[in-house]
Amino acid sequence: MKHFPTRRTVLGTASALTLLAMTACGNVAGGTTDSAEFPSGPVNLSVGQAAGGSTDLIARALAEGASQALGKPMPVVNKPGANGALATKEVAGKPADGHELVLLNASLITITPLAVSPDEAVNIDDLDVIAGLSQDDYVLVASPGSGFTSFEDVTAAGRNITFGTTGVGTGSQLAQTVLFKQADVKGTDIPFDSGKPALTAVLGNQVELATVQLGEAMPQIEAGKVAPLLVFSEDRNTFLPDTPTAKEAGYDVPVAQYRAVAAPKGTPQDVKDKLLAAFQEAFKSEAYQEFNKKNMLTPKEISGEEVVTEWKEYAAKYKELVEKYDISLSGNK
Amino acid sequence: MDFLNPVINGFAVVLEPTNLLYCLIGVVIGMLIGVLPGLGPAATIAILLPLTYNVEPVTAIIMLAGIFYGAQYGGTITSVLLRLPGEASSVVTVFDGYQMARQGKAGTALGLAAIGSFIGGTAAIIGLTFLAPIVAGFALDFGPPEYTALALLGILLVATISSGAKAKALIAAAVGLLLATVGRDIFTGQSRFTFGNLQLADGIDFVPIAMGLFGLGEILYNLEERHRAAKAPSKVSNVWPSRKDLKQASGSIGRGSLLGFFLGILPGGGATIASMASYAMEKKRAKQPERFGKGAPEGVAGPETANNAAATSSFIPLLTLGIPANATMALMFGALLIQGVTPGPQLVEQNPELFWGVVNSMYIGNILLLIMSLPLVGIFVKILRVRAAILAPVTALITLLGAYTINNSMFDVTLVVVFGIIGYLMKKFGFEPGPLVLAFVLGELLESSMRRSLLVFGGDPLGFFGRPISATLLIVFVLVALLPVIRSIAKRKFTASTLVTKPDIKEKV
Repeated sequence: MKHFPTRRTVLGTASALTLLAMTACGNVAGGTTDSAEFPSGPVNLSVGQAAGGSTDLIARALAEGASQALGKPMPVVNKPGANGALATKEVAGKPADGHELVLLNASLITITPLAVSPDEAVNIDDLDVIAGLSQDDYVLVASPGSGFTSFEDVTAAGRNITFGTTGVGTGSQLAQTVLFKQADVKGTDIPFDSGKPALTAVLGNQVELATVQLGEAMPQIEAGKVAPLLVFSEDRNTFLPDTPTAKEAGYDVPVAQYRAVAAPKGTPQDVKDKLLAAFQEAFKSEAYQEFNKKNMLTPKEISGEEVVTEWKEYAAKYKELVEKYDISLSGNK
Repeated sequence: MDFLNPVINGFAVVLEPTNLLYCLIGVVIGMLIGVLPGLGPAATIAILLPLTYNVEPVTAIIMLAGIFYGAQYGGTITSVLLRLPGEASSVVTVFDGYQMARQGKAGTALGLAAIGSFIGGTAAIIGLTFLAPIVAGFALDFGPPEYTALALLGILLVATISSGAKAKALIAAAVGLLLATVGRDIFTGQSRFTFGNLQLADGIDFVPIAMGLFGLGEILYNLEERHRAAKAPSKVSNVWPSRKDLKQASGSIGRGSLLGFFLGILPGGGATIASMASYAMEKKRAKQPERFGKGAPEGVAGPETANNAAATSSFIPLLTLGIPANATMALMFGALLIQGVTPGPQLVEQNPELFWGVVNSMYIGNILLLIMSLPLVGIFVKILRVRAAILAPVTALITLLGAYTINNSMFDVTLVVVFGIIGYLMKKFGFEPGPLVLAFVLGELLESSMRRSLLVFGGDPLGFFGRPISATLLIVFVLVALLPVIRSIAKRKFTASTLVTKPDIKEKV
């Protein structure tokens, strides 16, 4: 929001008007497909999550760097709903001139379809992915009252374990249910609305385990209030080098949250190139790198094609895991 | 005195120029809408919610809180001078306040009310300051079972204690619970009542409901009433009460503070009930009850103190437990959620600047109000000359624009219009929107906490009684539920009740 200081000072209504006016300009200008002129107006970056959340913060950090490189403002437009499907579907239907972008969460493509009805799911083929951004790792933490300090303690407990997830159809739920099946541990899946309440329930000993995103859990891990048992990334996380991965412990659950930025299908190649160049410029900026570090995000700045291939692989892998272990992400009630 | 450190830091937060400015804006708006009959604080906060989107959370809540307690001061002015209560909580002030004005003691009445309000408000803030850390000490003991019990108790109290017809309040609460079920079931991912509409996949947002029911509904309803042209009184003098008046009123101010404080904490309670209860109590205690209605200073000082104390103390359940005690607090809850802050036992620890900033801003706000309401009375009274025909379209426009800006969604605007019409019809047929909105907020909490608890307990409902806090709350729930039965038995024994006839006033929000 920093490149757009008026929004903070001017009252909300005024900013709405500004935004409306700017969107209108963008659309008018966007009518021309003469991509030599791109960008002819502001580039809107839609986010399917509420302002202030981790996805929103990533979008704002990215937009700040990229708008400087493009020489046009890049306002972040929050449109929360249906795990981000709402914003994504809306952007997918906009003119493919590069002025309307969306920040994608991999879970929307790879995991959410396993839990919700098909019309709420998003197909990545409806979009042109411009660039991959970063990887946000999940960590399995144990409550102080549980006495668990490693995952072996959990498998050795030989009883039913309660575990909190960040919601139905999230990486947190998938990672834990698959892990428990593979480790042959009986567990009760207790969904919370997001990471924060799940972590609070662990702190208050209402559940024994929970899987939340690393950035959220880190302050409590550092304070020694919860014990990190496993990370679900394929390699050890640089921010938590002493915690083993699930793979090292002998389980096959590679789950993490990945993020990428995408445009409507059919965006001209030179427009995509310009956008990519602007994002790469943003990746290089010190502010953006500092932001990643502060939020425990591991950069994963891969090409759009790689994003599509990887995410499709993950989607297939998760589908296979879920079918293999006969897990229903929505079915335990 | 380690525990006082965050309290003092809170003052540093309040004294930041931006926060001071927003505190002033809040109390001035509060004063204004308090003076204007029609829009109440809940409606105003509903309308202004989106404007807080771009400021810091603490600043936003400071302003909104200012509107709430500022309105308690403002409402008094018109009650006394024009016999026109600007605020539901100032209705009882009319009885003696207007009589005092006719006897040429308008200044004294306003002065007493302002001083009483200040004392009542301050007493409640001090109570909040000491009570909050105690509740926060239990923060981590509040898990899903405790929230289940709290939400149950909250919904019951809201439906049974709120003013107006109980059956209608229960119906409204039931509709609120029903609306809370719309959207994806967070335990199974199933869509409920979404009719295949992706916009409803996450349920109905709280803010458009509140903006529609309170904001637009209230505007529409007010259009029906033709306000009589208010004549501004010639002059208000002698706003500083004499020593004799103060002495006469000091007892009622003390009692009003205490009564208001407790009624404010109670879910379903709040400023209106506190002012009525205080009036009844003063009349009952008085040596010459016949003076009441003829300009008794206690009849102004008591209720005005109580409504301010209650307005302030109703922040306690919200800021410490995350349970809104009344409709206005439900809106504060919404405002905090918009800001990404979830009110609850963790708030004091995780967000001390926010918590203490807001609490301490109330001291400053009360001082500002005291200054404004004594010498500046005349200016505020002039506001009454603004015609509803000008005010209504402007506020309606602000509401709709504001609704759009929260999520950049036209769907939200449609929702506001739909709920505006529902709110208008509800008012017209004597249903209060308050219980609906509160049940909506608490309904989500109730459902998810209960299902979560049952999962933890392995499906055994007796688990709720195995935990001290939830067991206590559930016992209170049963007692409150049985209270009407007990009361009706008691009533049969003492049929001759000499209590004052409770004025039949619908809570204006």
